Amino acid sequence: MNLQAVKILFLKDLFLSRRQLFAYFAAGLASSALTTIPNPTVSFVGFLLMITVAIASGIHLIGTLMLSESTDQTRLFVMSMPISLLDYSVGKIAVILTTYLIPWSAMFASSAILTFVLPTSKHGSFAVLPAIFLFLLCAFLIQLVTAVVSESVGWTISVMVGCNVGLNVFFMQLFASPEISAAAKSDSVSWPPVLIQLLTVELLIAAGALVTAFIAQTRKRDLV
Amino acid sequence: MTTLLEASTDAGLAARLQNITKSYAHFQLKKIHLELVKGSVMGLIGPNGAGKSTIMRILMGLVNPDSGTVSVLGTTISSSDAAAKQDIGYFSDDMRLYKPESVGWHMQFVRSLYPTWDDQYAADLLRRFGLIEHQAVKGLSHGQRVKAMLLLILARRPKLLILDEPTNGLDPVARHEVLGELMKVVEDENRTILYSSHNTQDVEQISDSITFIDRGHVISAGNRDEYLDRWKRIRLQVSDDWSVPNLDGLRLESSFRSLRVLSMNQFQDSTMERIQESGATIESIAPMTLEEIFVSTVMRGREEKSL
Repeated sequence: MNLQAVKILFLKDLFLSRRQLFAYFAAGLASSALTTIPNPTVSFVGFLLMITVAIASGIHLIGTLMLSESTDQTRLFVMSMPISLLDYSVGKIAVILTTYLIPWSAMFASSAILTFVLPTSKHGSFAVLPAIFLFLLCAFLIQLVTAVVSESVGWTISVMVGCNVGLNVFFMQLFASPEISAAAKSDSVSWPPVLIQLLTVELLIAAGALVTAFIAQTRKRDLV
Repeated sequence: MTTLLEASTDAGLAARLQNITKSYAHFQLKKIHLELVKGSVMGLIGPNGAGKSTIMRILMGLVNPDSGTVSVLGTTISSSDAAAKQDIGYFSDDMRLYKPESVGWHMQFVRSLYPTWDDQYAADLLRRFGLIEHQAVKGLSHGQRVKAMLLLILARRPKLLILDEPTNGLDPVARHEVLGELMKVVEDENRTILYSSHNTQDVEQISDSITFIDRGHVISAGNRDEYLDRWKRIRLQVSDDWSVPNLDGLRLESSFRSLRVLSMNQFQDSTMERIQESGATIESIAPMTLEEIFVSTVMRGREEKSL
């Protein structure tokens, strides 16, 4: 692997996605700020916006950085240069993950801080945040795997729809659990076993999806 | 079929394809053998879907063949090995630049990957092609886009240029500018060009060897001047019971009343004698253009296969 080429590709894509990155970072922070307003409706809208930003940024990044290189025929330009499939794959997956994780981390961190800072917030709700944000990360990585394997806009959109439906089911199931619900309403942070199991499964899915995306990309026989 | 060029050793070759096959759902590249001599310009001519672009992509390591070997500038090419591409400049009509970014941004990007990038030459090409460095690619015309891409390729000073339809869709002035620049590249005897085009005039102008390809096969290959010398169009006046003499390479192209037009791919003085002996009166013998040679070659190949 040519690390210099990977770095150049990474920086190129980071530059190309700079506007989206800034917009999603700002939108993430703004939606987090909305959740601090002591009005249940506005606070809920802030939370919904935050989830929406996390979903939209994933869709947008996969579309612009992964799928559009094929449809816009810019990949042929990139791959005509001294770049191997391994260089391309590492650079591409790294930049997509990084650009997603920047607003994701900002939203996760601000939400976590707010659970401790806001006087109206229950500290125990901090425990459910990793589960929610890891679900969003898993959904994003599954969509990324689909885009890498299929290189199809149609298939990727289908999986995106499936993940968004899955998110609603996830929320229903998460708060239907008496242990998790009790932990979220508690004044102190606690980690019931069912939540630990959920986090473990989510981490395994995220890692599995990431490895699958990488293997699928590097096993391709043709570069264009 | 093997292309017959002057050199036969790897040392004298810029690229070699040996027994290359590649299958897609509705197309097959069949046992392609092609040798590109260092310092030469080979024109690759074929109808749409003949396999020209696939051959070029295989040479670039962008597409892996199902079987056979590819060596370019002394290195075996594969998709996992990028080093060989350092000395190759590849242009494809299907290739696009990033629309929101400027020509200058693309120059910086390519420059960062090529130690051989020549700033002076790039600036010179920018001026000669009439391109504006800070202009976004989305604002470029098709001709300007092609020139921008050629600038990005030529300024890295590649030893081998693989150009897939570079003049496609260009107006005559832009075509003249692009071909003029390529002619300058050709003056450097160490640089090799593989050039495909539908426009046989372009190929005729720039190439010193020609390879015809049709339906995934190399159907003919050779030196350009020899092609033009040995292919002739012969117009005859004949009687009703006249039939085409049995001469290798002689083919009836068209007939109208007592007029017959033949093509001959190995014309010699004895050809005229044999035709006259058949009872025909020769009206004229004229050289054929590369386009006529190409069409006749393709039709002969297809007829042979259908027999």
